[in-house]
Amino acid sequence: MIRMRPGLTGPLTVGAGALLALTLAPYTAHSVTLWVVYGLLALSFTFVWGHGGIFSLGQAAFFGIGGYAYGVAGINLVPSTGESLSSLLIAALVAAAVAALLGYFVFYGDVGDVYLAVITIATTLVLLTFFASTSDSTYRIGNALLGGYNGMVGIPGLVLPGGQRLTANGVLAVVVLIAGGVAIGIAVLLRRPFGRVLAGIRENEVRTQLLGYEVRARKLGAFVIGGFVAGLAGALYAAWGNFINPQVFSLQQASLVAIWTLVGGRRSIPGAFAGAFAVQALSDYLGGVTEGAVIPAVLGAILLVVVLFLPEGVLHPLRERVLSAVRKGTDLDLGVAESDPDPEAAFGRDATPASRVRTVDVQKRFGGLRVLRGVTLDVAPNEVRTVIGPNGAGKSTFFGLLTGRHRPDAGEILLDGVRLNRLRPEKRARLGLGIKTQVPSIYPELSVAENVWIAAYGAGPDAEKRVAEVLAGLRLTGKAQLPAGALAHGEQQWLEIGMVLVRRPRVVLLDEPTAGMTRAETSRYVELIAVLARSATVLVVEHDMEFVRDLGAPVTMLHEGTVFAEGSIAELRADDRVLDVYLGRAKADA
Amino acid sequence: MHFDHVVIIGTSLLYSVSLLVVAALGLALAFGMMRVVNMAHGELLMLGAYVSITLVHAGLGFWLTVPVAALAVGLLGMAVERLILRRLYGRIWATMLATWGLSLLLVGAVQFFFGTTTEGIANPLGTVKVGDYTVSAYNLVMIGAAVVMIVATYLLFHRTPFGATARAAAALPEMASALGVNVARTNMISFGVAAALAGLGGALLAPVSGVGPSFGQGYIGRAFMTVVVGGASPLLGTTSAAALLGGVNAGVSNLAGPVLGTVALLLVSMLVLRFLPTGLTGLWRRSR
Repeated sequence: MIRMRPGLTGPLTVGAGALLALTLAPYTAHSVTLWVVYGLLALSFTFVWGHGGIFSLGQAAFFGIGGYAYGVAGINLVPSTGESLSSLLIAALVAAAVAALLGYFVFYGDVGDVYLAVITIATTLVLLTFFASTSDSTYRIGNALLGGYNGMVGIPGLVLPGGQRLTANGVLAVVVLIAGGVAIGIAVLLRRPFGRVLAGIRENEVRTQLLGYEVRARKLGAFVIGGFVAGLAGALYAAWGNFINPQVFSLQQASLVAIWTLVGGRRSIPGAFAGAFAVQALSDYLGGVTEGAVIPAVLGAILLVVVLFLPEGVLHPLRERVLSAVRKGTDLDLGVAESDPDPEAAFGRDATPASRVRTVDVQKRFGGLRVLRGVTLDVAPNEVRTVIGPNGAGKSTFFGLLTGRHRPDAGEILLDGVRLNRLRPEKRARLGLGIKTQVPSIYPELSVAENVWIAAYGAGPDAEKRVAEVLAGLRLTGKAQLPAGALAHGEQQWLEIGMVLVRRPRVVLLDEPTAGMTRAETSRYVELIAVLARSATVLVVEHDMEFVRDLGAPVTMLHEGTVFAEGSIAELRADDRVLDVYLGRAKADA
Repeated sequence: MHFDHVVIIGTSLLYSVSLLVVAALGLALAFGMMRVVNMAHGELLMLGAYVSITLVHAGLGFWLTVPVAALAVGLLGMAVERLILRRLYGRIWATMLATWGLSLLLVGAVQFFFGTTTEGIANPLGTVKVGDYTVSAYNLVMIGAAVVMIVATYLLFHRTPFGATARAAAALPEMASALGVNVARTNMISFGVAAALAGLGGALLAPVSGVGPSFGQGYIGRAFMTVVVGGASPLLGTTSAAALLGGVNAGVSNLAGPVLGTVALLLVSMLVLRFLPTGLTGLWRRSR
């Protein structure tokens, strides 16, 4: 259903590239080596941004750090080791370590996306200032002089173990093998669970967190891998030119990374190399005919045009167009609605004890506004409880406190006696809390099957089997390969429920689950909740009184941030005070 | 420590802070108010400096060139908003990449018309004697200019009808539009003001640094750090971040040299962000 292993295309392409490298004229081979190195740098950005959704403009910084680290390691180590591959590895690891440090501050500080972009570019530029001011000969590490604005010279080139010198063609072949190996590694990684969850984080970070994934650690992991790849490219760059200077940290150099990736298409791995080749070939050509003065202007114009008019890149859409012409006639069948979802088939399980949910006098204020003034609630295992209340009663805030979106100012939130107050949402999810948000929160660009798989993977073995069961029960098997965003609104609601329930939660929180549903769908929902209660405690926050009545579960009514009434729906309907609140008579009497 | 020594050190710290304010205010305004991360900010500074130096070479007095630089770069900013930014609001990475393209385009254009050589503007003022020490009078002007820029921006955006309209148009365009604000025109003027501040800053910085195509690069890194550390409030955030970073940078540079000064700036920025993800603005908002 989902391809986990890459084909042979990648290795064959890399092998052919390495062989081709041996046939080029030495001067051409020397220039093309740089293009391949730049392609590897572009790949690091494709991975981090295109696949990880992390708009890091710091790839040039890791490239530069890798270059300097290779210089320092190579100058000090190559004379004694007789080879430079170990220095390459050291350099890439240093860059990865710097990425880990920067990433820690950024991701664990919960810095927003915009700030991340600005911080990474600002760090790059501050490094420019830093390395440019190291001209004094006291700035040296072992035998390596940092060299200030003029940079570090005398960096050893690539030397393989055994110590024989490589020709220009030999260097190109080795660089192609290294870059190709990394590219294949990235392609494999993206098909592995890590890459698939990363796609989930890119598409919908909140949903991924609510499914129990430690989003920050995973983003940091992706960022560090990106730093490693960029650092490796930087090390190869320093080895290629036997030299590195602070200009690698300049805004212009950093912008090239974005230009290559954008031209090649921001998700395409071969596109990263194709983009770097195309842009560098153009630069080299312009440098030949115009002495280089117009290069930045032309690059700037390319960047502007791509962003304004071709957001999917230049090369990737071309390729897609060719491919779709080839595929013509095998269009995916959009399918018709198969039949109503069958909750019993999708989620029916043997009766199992669930968890007890308690809140004790929880309070929450936003600025000067006391939204919750103390809510105490006790929901027994396997009970279904409905929480109602007029607008502004505090239902959404209460729900947010349970999911971990907000933290209470006072009071206790307990799950089987475990205090949840300050736990992050993913920790709560791992304790068995399943959350269905009001607006369907899914991964619109990923396939329906992939959506459920991401949910299932984090919650125990046999993910593929559970995905198949849930899809069959939801009657979505025929649409499993469609992007989830293409489903009808009602189907998206059911898909999200499937994602929550495939994890077999012990408590299910449903926030206005029937919003936007037809009457027929609503009655299916009543059935679903009955099935659910066999193995989970269910808390429903709801607006629709008819649905609450159909459900027939005990009701807690919130009003002005406290529990106003509790009982069966019949009891509440007979209570004049409740009617007063809903009809707005309470204020008039007071 | 003698009084004159204290005055000198105080002036040098304030100067270092004022450089950050002058270099970063336009960037902070565009970011804080309009959510535009203007990667071409350094080049707007550069253009301000080029307008100034070109006019000085044409025989104009330096002080006259400063407002002209602000006006010229401000008009360019309005054109940039109209032609580029307007299509991209709400897509942060697109605005960043587009203004980045613009940055390269401007560097290329300047290289084409003015060449890659770096020229200088003579410092228009002499020195002032403080006890046994002397201090450049222009440094004092820079400090004053930073204060004036902050106060003028505050008055414009918080004490005039235009300011209220501009903040509304940037924050809630649909609502402002429903209330009869011409959002398109207002945003164009707001970005023009941010660009004008950059042009003004560039002209003011011209006498203290060489004017060449890479002029912006000398300031842009620190300007970005100031904005990030400052957070969303363009005035409060920028002022406090400039005070913190300028103080740390100048202090450590005086004691241990410029390299460690830069390192200290980077480290302090990272620490602030780890604990205040929304910058110093977050601290002010929280304490209220």
